[in-house]
Amino acid sequence: MTDAAAAVARRWRHLDKSVFVWLLLIALLLLLVINPLARLLWASFQHPETGAFTLENYAAAYGRWRHIEALINSLVIGLAVAGLCTVFGVPMAWAVSRTDMPGKGLVWAAVLGTFIMPNYLGAVAWILMAGPNAGWLNRAYTALTGAAAGPFNVYSMTGLVLVIACYSFPYMFVFTRSALDLISSEMEDAASTLGAGALRTTLRVTLPLALPAMMGAFIVEFLEAIALFGAPALIALPARFQVMTTMLWQMFEFPPRVQVAAAYSMPLLLITVFLFWIQYRLIARKGYVALTGKGGERRLVRLGPWRWALLGYCLFVTSLSFFVPMLVVLQAAFARAWGRGFSLDNLTLRNLRFVLIDQPATRAATLNTFVYAAAASLIAVGLALAIAYIVARRLVPLGRVLTYIAMAPFVIPGIVLAIGFYAAYTAKPLVLYGTAWILILAFATRFLPIAYTNADAALRSINPELEDAARILGGGRLLALRRVVGPLLRRGLAGAFILVFIPATRELSSAIFLYTTGTQVLSVLLFDKSDEGNFEVLSSMGLILVVVTVALVLVGFRVVGRDFLLRRTAS
Amino acid sequence: MAVTRILLVAVLAVLFLVGAPGAPAVAFDGEKALHEAAKKEKELTWYTAHYNSETAAAICQGFEKKYPGVKCNYVRTTAQVAYQRLAQDQKAGIAQASVISSTDQSHYTKMKQDGWLQPYRPKNLTELVDAFRSFNDPDDLFVATAAGLVLITYNTSVVSPSEAPKKWTDLTEPKWKGKVSIGHPGFSGYVGTWVVQMRKLYGWDYFKKLELNKPRIGRSINDTVTMLNAKESIVAAGPAATTLESKSKGNPLAVVYPEDGAILMVSASAILKNAPAPNAAKLLMEYLLSREGNEVMVQQYQDPVNKHVKPMAGGKSIAEVKTIRPSAAEIEKGIPEVKEQFRETFGI
Amino acid sequence: MSRLVLTGVSRRFDAVTAVDGFSLTLAPGEFVSLLGPSGCGKTTTLRMIAGFLAPSEGTIEMDGRLISSPASTLPPEKRGMSMIFQSYAIWPNMTVEENVAFGLEVRRLPKSEIAVKVQRILDVVQMRHLGRRYPQELSGGQQQRVALARAIVVQPAVLLLDEPLSNLDANLREEMRYEIRRLHDEFQITTVYVTHDQAEAMVTSDRIAVMNQGRVEQVDEPRALYARPRTRFVAGFIGRTNLLDGLVRGAEVTFDHFAIPRSRFAEPTSLDGQVSFSLRPQSILLHRQPPPVSDRAAVIPGQIVQRAYLGEHWDYTVRPAGGPLALRVTARPHEVFEVDEKVWLELDPRQMARLQPE
Repeated sequence: MTDAAAAVARRWRHLDKSVFVWLLLIALLLLLVINPLARLLWASFQHPETGAFTLENYAAAYGRWRHIEALINSLVIGLAVAGLCTVFGVPMAWAVSRTDMPGKGLVWAAVLGTFIMPNYLGAVAWILMAGPNAGWLNRAYTALTGAAAGPFNVYSMTGLVLVIACYSFPYMFVFTRSALDLISSEMEDAASTLGAGALRTTLRVTLPLALPAMMGAFIVEFLEAIALFGAPALIALPARFQVMTTMLWQMFEFPPRVQVAAAYSMPLLLITVFLFWIQYRLIARKGYVALTGKGGERRLVRLGPWRWALLGYCLFVTSLSFFVPMLVVLQAAFARAWGRGFSLDNLTLRNLRFVLIDQPATRAATLNTFVYAAAASLIAVGLALAIAYIVARRLVPLGRVLTYIAMAPFVIPGIVLAIGFYAAYTAKPLVLYGTAWILILAFATRFLPIAYTNADAALRSINPELEDAARILGGGRLLALRRVVGPLLRRGLAGAFILVFIPATRELSSAIFLYTTGTQVLSVLLFDKSDEGNFEVLSSMGLILVVVTVALVLVGFRVVGRDFLLRRTAS
Repeated sequence: MAVTRILLVAVLAVLFLVGAPGAPAVAFDGEKALHEAAKKEKELTWYTAHYNSETAAAICQGFEKKYPGVKCNYVRTTAQVAYQRLAQDQKAGIAQASVISSTDQSHYTKMKQDGWLQPYRPKNLTELVDAFRSFNDPDDLFVATAAGLVLITYNTSVVSPSEAPKKWTDLTEPKWKGKVSIGHPGFSGYVGTWVVQMRKLYGWDYFKKLELNKPRIGRSINDTVTMLNAKESIVAAGPAATTLESKSKGNPLAVVYPEDGAILMVSASAILKNAPAPNAAKLLMEYLLSREGNEVMVQQYQDPVNKHVKPMAGGKSIAEVKTIRPSAAEIEKGIPEVKEQFRETFGI
Repeated sequence: MSRLVLTGVSRRFDAVTAVDGFSLTLAPGEFVSLLGPSGCGKTTTLRMIAGFLAPSEGTIEMDGRLISSPASTLPPEKRGMSMIFQSYAIWPNMTVEENVAFGLEVRRLPKSEIAVKVQRILDVVQMRHLGRRYPQELSGGQQQRVALARAIVVQPAVLLLDEPLSNLDANLREEMRYEIRRLHDEFQITTVYVTHDQAEAMVTSDRIAVMNQGRVEQVDEPRALYARPRTRFVAGFIGRTNLLDGLVRGAEVTFDHFAIPRSRFAEPTSLDGQVSFSLRPQSILLHRQPPPVSDRAAVIPGQIVQRAYLGEHWDYTVRPAGGPLALRVTARPHEVFEVDEKVWLELDPRQMARLQPE
């Protein structure tokens, strides 16, 4: 063998064969994320009939004032929602994490319930609570004060903001709480020895230390709000205004104008990229060194009688988001005629029976919902772990680029992603439209960033030497992953799994474009039901969704341990 | 001897004429063969906007009972969504639905134009109410299979029968300000047709006046039922069928057959050219026109299209009330126009 | 037992050169330490030997086979080596026995054989009774033993240790030093040991490679390293020392305020121009009275500037001949002098190690 041939042979022998696995996974990542986005971008410049390059889609999308108005409405709502979520979530997080407020278990359970409840179900319940003419709240108000009409009107931008905020604030709660949990009381002690009282310390020392987490959550809330479809569809139309997602929905009407929809949704991408850039600039320089993974001793702040007030606030917020809407849903689900209100002779199990037994679509949709959500979670978490591993261990050059790609779907509203998926997978060679896979992959892509953040944090908490020890003893990287890293990450990954699973069960904005008869999911079924006037059946279906999800989550708790949702690092 | 033979023949003839036991009450020519062919296809998918889910479920169940071995899967959505789904399927080259039942006439014209439909002249066409025939396609590409009324509905716990509006123009009276519920022509075929008819009767000024009453605009015509039940609105331009059905559950609702005419909605169904189950589809079309099928519809408070079937108790049959309707051509042309006008006037 | 040869190995990280031209040949079964302060490149070198990093330049060969070069590097799992990490890296999800058995399982040995080997090695490290425990239940020293057992049971070609004792307390460290050397002797494994603690290196190693800023300063046996350091850095790093700079003038080597005849040094003919020496504190004797004159020793008057009593010895700082120099002198406990007392220093120039010019 010549020298050159020997060198090549040696290089082959020396090659770590696991590199092929990494390349395969990277290819999968690119397929999931880049393909739809690229198609979307391409479609936005494509003439609908001829396929030639054109700018007329952008002209059509932004040439009408109505469309621009919808965009502005979305942005305004996004900011308002993010602000309101901060008002809801931060005090609650602080109360649960750092004070001696009683009833923390209850508050935490209610937050979890809120996280599980689909926002459009909440919207329906809210319509009953705060409809201007007959909402319960208004009727209570007029009864109490004798006024002609109550002040609450859910059919307004304020109403929509409130409804959306009610169902989005759990993110702010979880992020802020995780950060606050890591702050050692020494920080607060330092302030108090200098004479600062509890409130001033909280506002000037404690909360600012959690600022990166809160900013991250603020951006998440903003993006959620502008990308939401369910609640706006139910509330915005009767309130006589449009938002971006309802406008996009109309663009899919007869005849569907995918290209214009693509052009219309491009600016959303730009806006969110801009937001992340701002966050990076604001935060990257400052020192938040206090937040090492360990956290010092954490003492609870004593509030005295104020702790009851704080509990009251927490319960107030969770009543708005969870307890009262659930009551509404329960009442309707078990009512013969919900228009008659609550009375003993109006109770029946007929609706549940119809939904569970008589209507085959529900059973199929329920099964689909949980199977797709589970499959999507597995794919998202598995891929996220692999990519996080590749980046953390520097297995390929330009690893940072992979991180950006894995986080990119975060930046894309669900409805835009769906349009991208639609554009990518309804034409040859890869036709996934009409199969369950297009939904599963769309969900997996949509929630990949959440899975990635968790997988990355979990991975970083493991000492790389544990892997090295396995490798030097003769196991390759893959064996080390399987026998050492995998088992150690179980808890963290299970947490990531559930954080993807729950939103996937109620995901509407991407499902609405991608489902077909055989692949219906509960979210779409619920949505379709909402324009049938059959509120009893609608509530029954919603109730089933919530109950089954809660049951699955509780099972998950048993398997994983309680704290997974609130700790972002593995133990 | 000869007498016995003649008697025998006579008895046999009588028996034959009366019909052997087990023969269906009203079978159509070739039903058995079609059933056999449909059984091979095993199941069919039906996109429908004609009814609500419960009715569609009942019809499917009745169909499966009458034609065992053929499964009926329905997908109930608003007309716009049904068309959207179909359009996406066609574009992707996916054959899902075999039968489409939209409430928007313009859909059929476009589908005919795009060559999505296949012709079929149901044997049960003879059973169709004569007045509806003008809605059928001359090339047999679509056939009227559903009828409904849009009329004035109200919540009886808040509005007494004497106070209730008696004609369409009453809805614009100031006393109903903020309390009227309607649908949106951009989402619902029924609402589109209603708007076209109102425009025909009273011109677009009707809606300009209605806007002064700040109506609550939902998506589907069935949203009005929700609004009335919630007491968010107390009067509405609503569908007879869904309202009466909700009333039968015990909800405090009632209908008014307007003096200036209830809007008659005649909606067609069609078989798709790329139907995965063409024979089952034909069978469904027959069923939708058949007596059994219409009995099921009537139990769900729908109006029958079969001339031999009586409407539900408590409701009036279409023949009894004053109905008005735009022609197919008027609907066709009018709906896109009124969608624009609606957006201009109501801002949404 | 394997022969490991590093030739001109360098490693760069962006603009920083962590290891520069490292060359070393290990004889089969030899125990070599890489000794130096943090950041000197010793761990990087070790990781290159293990295969976790590829060299930017140079080659590493084992038993004549090329295993590392900038073009290609055999992955760690294919080298047949073992490594002990600073954190021990005992897997918390496995018991002691399972940890130790891991390498044997990868080598697909039959279960019965694995069981036997595991028990035997646990005996050797005296951990047999804790075989079923999980790592969290063990002390630092016990975990260290598990790491040793796990690494040795697979009979590696080369054993690599990365500062394994730095997380232990002083007593345990001493005990484990001997333990590691004992295991090396028993199994005769070629060993590379990375540490910043010179006492550890001295106790355990056949040879020590002293590293500074990526370069090897000197490779020698411990005694030679101590007695004859060749550079200022090595002299100062291994034990304490006095650094003396002098100038050769004719028959004398002149220092600051005193001189020593050239003939008294080892290799006097090689002395020329500016010279530097390392003089160990133990090599200087202190006297109250001037000692008898000899032609071997150099006697210099001086004054005690500072003193510290450490129990086992005295640490004196003495100023010779009224000059600016301050020499460290180690004296036995009964040799008590007061500060400011005038004393006589007796030193043996042959014990002064000549340092290379910088």
